[in-house]
Amino acid sequence: MIVKEWCMYCGECAGVCPRNLIEVRELTLKFTEEHCKECSLCIQVCPVKALEQE
Amino acid sequence: MVIKTDVLVIGAGPAGSTAAKHAASGGAKVLLMDKKSEIGAPKRCAEGVSNGGLESLGIEHNPRWITRELDGVRLIAPDGTNVWLTSDKVDLPEAGCILERKVFDKYMAMDAARAGAEIKIKTLATRMERNDEGFLVDAECMDEKFQIQAKIVIAADGPESRVARWAGLRTAVKPKDMESAAQFEMAGVQMENNKCIEFYFGSVAPGGYAWVFPKGDDIANVGLGILTTITDKSAYEHLLEFVKNCPATQNAQPVELNIGGDPVGGLPKKMATDNLMVVGDAAGQVNPLTGGGIISGMTGGMIAGKVAAEAIEENDFSEKKMKKYEKECRETIGDSINKYLKVKDYMMTLNDDELNSIADVFKDSDFEKVSTGELVKNLVKVSPKALIKLGKLF
Repeated sequence: MIVKEWCMYCGECAGVCPRNLIEVRELTLKFTEEHCKECSLCIQVCPVKALEQE
Repeated sequence: MVIKTDVLVIGAGPAGSTAAKHAASGGAKVLLMDKKSEIGAPKRCAEGVSNGGLESLGIEHNPRWITRELDGVRLIAPDGTNVWLTSDKVDLPEAGCILERKVFDKYMAMDAARAGAEIKIKTLATRMERNDEGFLVDAECMDEKFQIQAKIVIAADGPESRVARWAGLRTAVKPKDMESAAQFEMAGVQMENNKCIEFYFGSVAPGGYAWVFPKGDDIANVGLGILTTITDKSAYEHLLEFVKNCPATQNAQPVELNIGGDPVGGLPKKMATDNLMVVGDAAGQVNPLTGGGIISGMTGGMIAGKVAAEAIEENDFSEKKMKKYEKECRETIGDSINKYLKVKDYMMTLNDDELNSIADVFKDSDFEKVSTGELVKNLVKVSPKALIKLGKLF
């Protein structure tokens, strides 16, 4: 997952990730990519379009 | 290093802090942790609460965290038709106020601390596992890694709701149930009545609404929530468009941008399991129609905190005991959440023309008081479609 630099770490992506793979820290976003099925729900809900499929 | 505690509350928003306060007041050893360096900031909220809600939680108004006392509501239809519900028109307005969340949230955490809770900030829970004594939680604070052994975990980690899922609960939210929201706090906002909260309906915010909530004479939270399942634009793009077109914001400038998700799908099937309770946004404790979740989340937190203290005293952390929280929660806030879920589903079926015609009738209607329930009651009176879907509920 590509996290754009304008990400505001609101965590909405983490809330919809069906596999609970997104860890949102205060100023970083960490994906456990090896388990990601690329459902892209995280990309869909982002309020500022800060996520992009690699 | 392992820190031992009776109750670990993860997340120090209003729901978590309220849970911590009541658990500590009830005699439990409580640890309250939050991943952020400042509790309450950045806000992800339009900051409106009803006075009755604060009262029901036993919280007295404090000028430190109230920015504006409200005098009514203005509803704006897509064609610009106004429905005013103000104290000169309505006898007994159910008044509310606009908070300063970054002060309010800290104040609630301070209350928890005064009740005896220990607070750790800039501390993130990274995983947890169940053991004989409850949960062993991995945590990180700056360069320090440690573990916390808790008999009870109260998951108050907001819309992300990761903690409950570590315990096997299904609290993930589907995009159709997650409002994607964006908001500017602005100065220079020219409101027609700067003591009224404004709601804009229709295609300005597909699947949600736009709002202008006053925080001062010319200061307001201007935002909107949308469902990304029915629009291709992001919440932020919708917000830019709204601010460009809204008469009140033509000369306004932003001083803050807030974004975030708001779970509007109602309560999950299960909010408690052995040694764990979920509260606040993490448990969908939000009015699905308004998206408001401060009071309902704090109510959930209060019940969870009291049950946690009781459980510690009785040394019973079973699912059966934790379910006492769930049962009470469904009784106090669950019924109303279910009702408003149906109203939201109905509102979602209305197009701009239908909203305009409802507003046209509403603008001359007499309302006895200003509340969401009262509005829906009147909606049932004027719309046959609403009567069929909602008549029995309101």
